[in-house]
Amino acid sequence: MTTRAEFLARIRGQMATTRGLVEAATASRPARPRERLEVLRRELVERRPRSLERFRTEFERVAGVFHRVATVAQVPAVLERICRERDARSVVTWATSRLGVDAEPALTAAGVAVHAMPTAVPALDERQRLRDIIARADVGVTGAELAVAETGTLVLRSAAGQPRSTSLLPACHVALFDGAALVETLEHVGIVLEAWHDGAAPDDGGAVINLITGPSRTADIELTLTRGVHGPEEVHAIFVDAGLPARPHA
Amino acid sequence: MSEPPIRTPLRDRAQQALGDRFLHEALDIATTKFIGLRREAFGEFPEGERLRDDARAIKEATLQRLDEHLDRLIDNVERRGGHVHFATTGDEARDIILDIARRTGARMAVKSKSMATEEIHLNDALAAAGVTPVETDLGEYIIQLAHERPSHIIAPAIHKTKGQVAELFARELQREVAADPEVLTRIARAELREKFLQADLGITGANFAVADTGTVVLVTNEGNGRMVTSLPRVHVAVMGIEKVVPSMTDLMVFLSVLAKSATGQKLSVYTTLVQGPRRAPELEGPEEFHLVLLDNGRIAQIGGPLREALACLRCGACLNVCPVYRQIGGHAYGYTYPGPIGILLTAMLNGPRAVKELSHASSLCGACADACPVRIDIPRMLIDLRKQVHDAKIAPWPERVVFKALAWLLRHPGLYRLGGPLGRLLQWPFVRGGRIRTLPLFFGQWTQTRDLPPVAARTFQERWAALEREGR
Repeated sequence: MTTRAEFLARIRGQMATTRGLVEAATASRPARPRERLEVLRRELVERRPRSLERFRTEFERVAGVFHRVATVAQVPAVLERICRERDARSVVTWATSRLGVDAEPALTAAGVAVHAMPTAVPALDERQRLRDIIARADVGVTGAELAVAETGTLVLRSAAGQPRSTSLLPACHVALFDGAALVETLEHVGIVLEAWHDGAAPDDGGAVINLITGPSRTADIELTLTRGVHGPEEVHAIFVDAGLPARPHA
Repeated sequence: MSEPPIRTPLRDRAQQALGDRFLHEALDIATTKFIGLRREAFGEFPEGERLRDDARAIKEATLQRLDEHLDRLIDNVERRGGHVHFATTGDEARDIILDIARRTGARMAVKSKSMATEEIHLNDALAAAGVTPVETDLGEYIIQLAHERPSHIIAPAIHKTKGQVAELFARELQREVAADPEVLTRIARAELREKFLQADLGITGANFAVADTGTVVLVTNEGNGRMVTSLPRVHVAVMGIEKVVPSMTDLMVFLSVLAKSATGQKLSVYTTLVQGPRRAPELEGPEEFHLVLLDNGRIAQIGGPLREALACLRCGACLNVCPVYRQIGGHAYGYTYPGPIGILLTAMLNGPRAVKELSHASSLCGACADACPVRIDIPRMLIDLRKQVHDAKIAPWPERVVFKALAWLLRHPGLYRLGGPLGRLLQWPFVRGGRIRTLPLFFGQWTQTRDLPPVAARTFQERWAALEREGR
């Protein structure tokens, strides 16, 4: 069995035989990521309308469905319409406090069963039951931490009340976001990721970050593009003009 | 562990591939499409060229401090509750994974597409140990049902028609299946969904691993990478040591060029950043996370002739543009990694002996180096491999004799200059319509598949000398 010490010693031994091919540098990581992110956010505010337009174009290019509402109060009506159009009977959502929207009354009234995920972790058998609910749900509703204009990408974090499979197991995924989530480029995503990992992780943080660019797809059979392989076959994004309530963590 | 040597000569494997009309058509359609998509993606991305340079520089800079980056990666994975294992050989990697499977009582393993696990032939070992491996990438699932190997780094079933896939599914499911990609995909979704929910073990590769944060990064389009890392109790990621990148900032540079080079997408559908096992406040996620760091010939190349190949992102762009790959497809190469980069990786994993024929399976046209997102000079290393193969005296003897004679001739300019008139004299019985179409003896092997241009009526040197005399 090779040990860490042996493994690294062999690497060092090889490294000692060469000075490398050329002088080269890694990308320059911001020295103070959180401060850099603050500066970026201020810059981005001015360009928001253009970023949103770009996001919409790119998101639709990857077969995303874009919705826009003025206030949070209008979100349940959009969700209700999405459910009605695809005859959905069961919806699973992130915890209401995480989502910033309580869609339960409107959806229940429309005859759709709503399962909001708890923020506290239940016992193992209850966790199993909740996973089965997610696996059988027709629609999964989540927030998005970021929306990337350049690529039409939504960035989601797992955390307490934000189970990863909400955006994976149901055939239709709906993500809510607002202006504060908009960034322009993958380079900007890099700045945000550096800031997220600067210092201690939040106590309720999860172990997974997902960049999602449109519905699940494959071209493995004769390079014919087919959507909805293992993940959702539909991805919707609802932009809330007036903003979503701040989530309990950054 | 190195792969067993291949008995059938490359010439016969290539001949067989060339005779497969369907394979030809499939390859032609797929590679042409990939080339177009890639060109389009970079066409509307003016920063692309700069980012390719940056990506390459990051790879080289990372190698120059590889020990530090790996050390930091290991610390950070462990800090997040993950376990790191070290595998010098493929055998050792398999033992580590089998050990985890045994200890956790795993009966079924779902796998997300991973060339590293193909390289160590993990599936056979799992099956032999009583753990059923299930490939979940649609292409990998198809070739697993067909008991074949991937024929392309990113499109493993590129060589199969929908009709052939339908037959495979029908045999597996014991019912009629329509030859329609949409229907076939839906069937695979339903079949594999059950497996995801039942499996105990999730096995993946890693496209990247971020040293600063202990993050393993998986890029997929189907979502199977997410399933495999979320639903089973245990997640094992296998990665070559060269996949480490220093920071999240570096990672974004690679993500900016990877999908564009591979499938022409701006970004693949899912980029999944996994940091250790499920955290306490999470509802789901694996209870255990293991990272297997794989050497298998890589470490020896840090200071070796194939160092540049350690920059490879496994995007497959060089396969699509390679005139040899486009003619013979992936299986004819005979090893895990096909195409131009595959020859280099085969040499890295199995030594130069394994590529004594393959090192010549390139026209050295340079299309691979042009397409490579990190600008790996593949032709330079192929030439170098040919030299190694020659020097180690493992090349076939006629080749060695011919090269020796040629080298001698080139060192004797007087004799070399005689070659022009002599060639013109000897070739006259064979020149037909300005081409040499057939040659006698074993020289005929050359003209079997292509014409030879005759020696010119006046060689360049003769014309140059004439110009000099005319004082121009």
